Amino acid sequence: MSAQSTVEKSSPSDVPPNTITASAIRTTERAYKARGVQLFWRAMWARAYPRLIGTRREISWMVSETLLPLLGTSAYVYVYKATGAPPEFTGFAVLGGVATAFWLNVLWSMASQLYWDKDGGNLEIYVISPAPMTSVLMGMAVGGIVMASVRGFSILIICSLLFQVSYSITSLPLLLLIFFFTMAALYGMGMMMASIYLAAGREAWHMSNLLQEPIYLASGMYFPVRALGALVATLASAIPLTLGLDAVRQIIFGNLTVGWLPPETELLLLIGLSVVFLYAAHWSLVKLEDIGRREGRLIERRK
Amino acid sequence: MAVQAAHAIQTTGVGRVYKIRGPKKKSDAKELIALKDVNLEVPYGELFGLLGPNGAGKTTLIKILCTLLLPTSGTALVDGVNVATHPQEARRRISMVSGGETSGFGLLTVEENLWMFARLYGMDNKVVRDRLNEMMEIVGIADRRRTKISDLSTGLRQKMNFVRGFLTDPTVVFLDEPTLGLDVTAAREVRSFVRQWMTDHPDRTVLLTTHYMAEADDLCDRLAIIDKGQLLTVDTPENLKKRLQQSAIFNLRVQPVGDKPRDGARIENVPGVQNAVFHDGTEFTEINLSLERDDALPGVLAHLSARGSSLIALEKREPSLEDVFISLVGRRLDQDTTELSKVELEA
Amino acid sequence: MAVFQPLLDAPIVRRSNSLRSFLTGAWLGWQIESNWAKPGLFAIYAIARPIASSLILVIMYNVITNGATGEPLFAYIFLGNALYILVNNVVSGISWAVIDDREHYRVAKQLHTAPISYYAYLVGRGAARMMIGAISVIITVVFGLIAFQLPIHFGQVDWGLFAVGMVFGLAAMAGLGTIIAAMTMQLPQNFWFIGEGIGGALYVFTGAIFPIDVLPTALQWIGFLFPITYWLEAMRRALLGDTAARFPTLAGFSDAQLIGILAVMAAVLVVGSYLFYRWSLYLAKENGRLDMETSY
Repeated sequence: MSAQSTVEKSSPSDVPPNTITASAIRTTERAYKARGVQLFWRAMWARAYPRLIGTRREISWMVSETLLPLLGTSAYVYVYKATGAPPEFTGFAVLGGVATAFWLNVLWSMASQLYWDKDGGNLEIYVISPAPMTSVLMGMAVGGIVMASVRGFSILIICSLLFQVSYSITSLPLLLLIFFFTMAALYGMGMMMASIYLAAGREAWHMSNLLQEPIYLASGMYFPVRALGALVATLASAIPLTLGLDAVRQIIFGNLTVGWLPPETELLLLIGLSVVFLYAAHWSLVKLEDIGRREGRLIERRK
Repeated sequence: MAVQAAHAIQTTGVGRVYKIRGPKKKSDAKELIALKDVNLEVPYGELFGLLGPNGAGKTTLIKILCTLLLPTSGTALVDGVNVATHPQEARRRISMVSGGETSGFGLLTVEENLWMFARLYGMDNKVVRDRLNEMMEIVGIADRRRTKISDLSTGLRQKMNFVRGFLTDPTVVFLDEPTLGLDVTAAREVRSFVRQWMTDHPDRTVLLTTHYMAEADDLCDRLAIIDKGQLLTVDTPENLKKRLQQSAIFNLRVQPVGDKPRDGARIENVPGVQNAVFHDGTEFTEINLSLERDDALPGVLAHLSARGSSLIALEKREPSLEDVFISLVGRRLDQDTTELSKVELEA
Repeated sequence: MAVFQPLLDAPIVRRSNSLRSFLTGAWLGWQIESNWAKPGLFAIYAIARPIASSLILVIMYNVITNGATGEPLFAYIFLGNALYILVNNVVSGISWAVIDDREHYRVAKQLHTAPISYYAYLVGRGAARMMIGAISVIITVVFGLIAFQLPIHFGQVDWGLFAVGMVFGLAAMAGLGTIIAAMTMQLPQNFWFIGEGIGGALYVFTGAIFPIDVLPTALQWIGFLFPITYWLEAMRRALLGDTAARFPTLAGFSDAQLIGILAVMAAVLVVGSYLFYRWSLYLAKENGRLDMETSY
C-alpha cells in the first residue's frame, strides 16, 4: 500500500493536481487547545453547563424533583404524627426528604449518567475528546450538586413552613463544613459508581432502582441511624449520607442523644470518605476506560 | 513549519478479535475476527475512503483509530501518535462524525451544544465563537443557532454534527458513514462541505467509511476495499476501475433461472466468464456479468436458455466501483454477511 | 414464550383483538421487567426493595413506640405499605409503558400501525407490572408474618371480601393508570414522573400508611375521592379481620357499602379511562405526537 501518490481531487472548481508530501505541505494555522489543569477546568464547566442551564430552562424539575420528594416526605411526617412522635421527628423526616433529593441525583444523574450517555451517543464524544473523563464526571457532579441543592432546599423550605419545623443551629461553620464534605464524598461515590455502571451495561437502570429504598434504610434517612444497631450503623457509615445526615441533625436540632457519633468525628470521617471516593472514582474511571477499550464496551449499545 | 509524522494515518498489522460470550454449542465459534492484518498508510492532505459492506470491519478500524477500541495486535498511529499507548495525545488531533449520530443535549441550543463540545477540547471561548459563526454560515445552519437541538430535523442535526467534528480544528477527521439517513440534498451539501474543507486545509486528512459507491467514487482521493476484516486493495478510484476496463461488463435481466443443469455446469464455467453475480427477484433475475471479451456473451445466453430462462433486457456499461467490488469479493455490496451483528460479542 | 405461545394460539384469543393485545402486552411487559442480565440481582431487587421500604416504616414506628408491633396501628401501617406496592406498580406502570415504548425502545410507530387494541395492550403492560408487584406484596407480607407476627390468620381471612375487593381495586387502578397513560401521550418524556407523582399523592391522601384522620381537616376530604382509600380499607378488613384498627374515618361504612363504593368508582374509572384514552389518541394523532421523540 504505497504511501504517496499523485492524486486528482474531485472538486467542482478546477484544482490543479498536487503532489502531497510531508515536506511540501503548507501547514495551516492551528487553534490553541489547552492542556493540563486548564483543559480540566474548561471541560468540567462545559459539562456542568447543561445541568446548570437545565435548572432554569427545563422547569419540570419543580414537580418531578421537588413535589414528588415533598409528597414522600409528607407521608413520613404524618406517620410520625400518627405514632405521637415528638416534634423534632418531623424535622428528621424533612431532612430525610432533603437528603432524598441528593441521593436520587447521585443515583440517576451521576451513577447512571454515563450509561445514558453511551445510549445517546455522547460517551463516544467524551472519550474521543482530550478532556480527561474525570473532568467530565466532575462537571456532572458540580452541575448535579447545584441542581440537587436547589431542589433540596426547596423541599426544606416548603416542608419547614408546611409543618412548622423550627431549627436551632448550634454551629454554622461546622454545619457548612459537614455539608461541603458530605457533598464531596457523596458525589465522589457517584463518580465511582458511574464507572461501575458503565461496565454493568443495561443493569445500570436496575441497579439504580435497587439502591433507592435500601440506602434510605441503611443511611437512616428518616430515623436516627443508631436505631439500626452499632454494627449496621458502622457499616452504613461508609455511605456519606449516613454520617452527613446524622451530623446535620445533631447540629440543627441540638439533641445529641439521638446522634450516632459526635459531629466533629463525623466530619473527620467525611473528609476521609471524600478522599477515598474521589481517588477511587479516578482510579476506577481509568481502569474501566481501559477495560472498555479492550473489550469494546465503550461502543456497544444494549437496551 | 511544524514537523509532521511521515503519514497522517499508519497501521501495521492491525487486528481485532472479539471473544464471543456463551456460545450455545461446542461447534459454535468462540471468537470473531473483525480485523486481520490491516496495513494502511494515508498521507497528509488525502481524503481516504474505506469501502465495504456492513460487518466488513470499517467501523471497527475507525474506532481503533479514534481510540475507542484497542487493537488486539499491531500498531496504529495517527499523526505519528500511537493510539493505543498515547490516546490522550492522539485525541487532541482527531475528531469523528458518525452517520445517524444523536449526540448532544436536547434542551441546549445548537450553539450551546457546539460550544460545550469544543470546550472539551480546551479551546478558548473567543476562538470557539469565531469558528462557530464561520462554520455555521458555511454549513447553512446559522439561522438555527438558537434552536434547541431536539427541534432539529435529521439533516440539520447531521450538519450540526459536522460542525462539531470540524470545529475543533482536527488534523485527522474520521467520518463514519456520514451521510447515512440523509436525503439527497443534505448528503450532497455534506459532501460539498467536506470537499471544500479539504481544499482549504491541504495538510489535513479525512478518513471516510461508506458503503455508498457513488460517494466513495466522488469524494475519495484513494480508497481501500475491505471485506471480512481484510483490506483487499488500495488505490485511486480511477485506477481501480481501469483494472476492469479490459473486461466487458454487462447487466442482464432474464426470466427466473430454472434448476441447475443436471451435469452441474455453472455459469462461471462458461468460457470467457470472469464473474457472475445473481440477484433473484420474483419476476426476473438480474445478473451482473463480467466477461473477458464481448463474444463470450452468446455462450452465456445459451447456458441460460438451457436452464429454461430467456433474456428480457441487456445493458453494457463502463466498469464502476461496484464491479470492482464484485470482482474482488464475488458478491454485491448489498449481499453482505453481517457477521458482527449476528454474534453476541464478549462484553 | 413457551407458556404464552399456546395461550396466544387459542381460538378465542385469536378471534379477539382485545384479548390478543392484552396478552401480548402482558407478555412483553413481563419480558421487559424481568430482563435482567443477572437473575440473582433480580431476585435481590424483588426482595430487597419492598422489604427495605417496609423496614423504614418499621424502624420509624419502633423508635417512637419502643417496638410495640402488637398494636393495631403497626398492622395498619405495615399492611398498607405492602399493598400500596400494587397501586404504584399499576398506576405508574401503565403510563411508563407509553414513554418506554415511545422514547426508549422507539416502537410507538409500529404499535400504532399494528392491528392491535392499544388500550388493551397498555392494560396488558399494566398487568405485567401488577404481577411483579404482587410478588413483592407477597414477599413483604410473608416477611411481616415471620418477623413481626403480623396478625393475619389464614383461617379467619374473609376471602370473599378479599377477592371481590381485589378485582374492583385492580380495575380501578387500571382505569386510573390508563387515564394517566392517555395524558402521557400528549407530554414529552421529561414528564415521566406524572404516574409516580399521582402515585405519591395517593400515598399521602388515601390512608396507605397512616389514617386519614391524621391529615389536617382541610385535606381529609381528598382521600374520599379515590377508590384506593376504600380498597385499602377493604383489604385490611379482609386480612386482619376484627383486629383491624377501625379508625373513625371509614368505620361508619359496612363491608357491603365499601365494596359498593369501590365497584361504582371502578366502573366510572374504567369507562371514563376508555373514553379519555380515545379522545387523547385522537388528539395525539392530530398533533403528530404518537411517535414523537423528545429525549434530551
